[in-house]
Amino acid sequence: MLSTARVASRRISSSNAKKSFATVVEAAGYKVSAVDNGEPTSSVTILAKAGPRYESKTGVAQVLKNFAFKNTSQRSALGLVRETELYGGVLSTSLTREHIAYTADFLRGDESFFVDALASSLTSTRFTRYELEESVIPAVASESTHAISDPANQALEIAHALAFRSGLGSPLFIPVQKSDLTAEDVKSYAESAFAKDNVAILGTGIDQATLQKLVEKYLGSAPATTGNKIAAPTKTTYFGGESRVQHSEHSHGALQTLFIGYGLASAVTPELAILASHLSTVPSVKWSKGVSPLAATLPEGASASVVLLPYSDAALFGLLIQAPTAEKAKEAGKVAYQALKDAAAGNVKKEELAAASAKAKFLATAATESREGLVSAYGPQLISGAASSLLSVADSFSKVDASSFTKATSTLLKSKPTFVAVGDTHHLPYPDEIGL
Amino acid sequence: MVGGPLGLSFASYIRSSRSLYKWAKPLANWYANISGYRKMGFVYDDLLLEERPDVQKALSRLTPRESYDRIYRIRRGSQASIVHHDLPKEQWTKPEDDVRYLTPYVSEVHKEDLERSKWDTMQVKRK
Repeated sequence: MLSTARVASRRISSSNAKKSFATVVEAAGYKVSAVDNGEPTSSVTILAKAGPRYESKTGVAQVLKNFAFKNTSQRSALGLVRETELYGGVLSTSLTREHIAYTADFLRGDESFFVDALASSLTSTRFTRYELEESVIPAVASESTHAISDPANQALEIAHALAFRSGLGSPLFIPVQKSDLTAEDVKSYAESAFAKDNVAILGTGIDQATLQKLVEKYLGSAPATTGNKIAAPTKTTYFGGESRVQHSEHSHGALQTLFIGYGLASAVTPELAILASHLSTVPSVKWSKGVSPLAATLPEGASASVVLLPYSDAALFGLLIQAPTAEKAKEAGKVAYQALKDAAAGNVKKEELAAASAKAKFLATAATESREGLVSAYGPQLISGAASSLLSVADSFSKVDASSFTKATSTLLKSKPTFVAVGDTHHLPYPDEIGL
Repeated sequence: MVGGPLGLSFASYIRSSRSLYKWAKPLANWYANISGYRKMGFVYDDLLLEERPDVQKALSRLTPRESYDRIYRIRRGSQASIVHHDLPKEQWTKPEDDVRYLTPYVSEVHKEDLERSKWDTMQVKRK
């Protein structure tokens, strides 16, 4: 009974995997892909390979993100907002270290207006100086202040700078009141960022042919190639290092935070994902402590979350430890590092590894169920033009055995650690005090 | 005020007709010269009524350089007024320097205000 159920579920997952963004078409020079699973709402995302990693001037990517949906030559920012409200849609933007995404979510049937809105934002934003000063810079400042007031974000920002220095180390949030960026800088960055070969258009809940037609209609007149191209990424190198900072002045009562991390100068491996779910303290059942070796040993009040950030040619793996006092953070840091060392020494039972592998596989495949997950999983592949199926991701987890897991973990731990302490720097531990 | 923050103007109508323009332009030049603001070192846009929200908004959109020059001309003009003397002739505004640096910003703000009131008072019809 059980085995038949499993076979059936496997068949479903494989057919789903085939359906998801199986076809990529070129429309007006843009790579367009859509999947329609019959949702009542549609969503169109324009994804550009133009995160801080590629920026020409520090912060220009974040400013560009906040310049989305401002005055264009077709309609004003106010008109866009009011019309979007009338249609009942949502316009949003997001920024990761490698990509900028403009997204429109809307009811079925309104796709013509929203693709037009996205297209005009992409190609004909006016980038006026006074908009930069009146609305964009204040938005950037508040976004940065808000993000950095969370010590976890601050620790990750510093960790990226230590681990990768330039490129992926560029800050996601620029310091408040940074004003040496001009509207012209943003405009020229946008031109290179939204060049046709640098952008992918993904739709969910929308028919591929419809989306293709709309893209041709609204983006057909966009110039084929602009003079300036986005800088080719430099090959990422992992450095590592140590840094200690006080809490920012905006974080009141913030937790004492430690980050112990290691980087890879290659794309994330299934072994790392399994290690992450092995250590993850998030329980699978509510009100339980979970079976993670870390969750059982953490002192009361302290938390440790596993951070695994995959990039196109690098990955950052680490443990983010937060506690109300520096003493507890130190204790939790010791415990967390011990758990990492145990995993590297091969002290992981066979069944623990199998459970972690299943969890990792579930997380990787379940992530693509949501729209954001689907876009972040397929978008980057779409830009580069090579889309892999879900199946290969899921299969890669079954190939990991105990020896390859131990080998990958111990190699990871042999590299130079990235250690960040944010908070009460006089009492937070130094790396050697927690055994690094 | 009739015709928006900048008042009533026939300029665009006169400019559109070639013969009318040829006839009116010398008259306009003569008028601009005898009105005397150029002798105080001003340019025409310094005289715009600024005590209204839309012009204040437009003033906030000037580049730092334009803003600095405007304040400089106003202070120099005030001083000339206090001493009851025109500026020395080499400091008079030349006709080619008398550009409308503020008007484009004012009309842009005016357009924005009109659009906002349009959206605020619209009636939505179901198609």
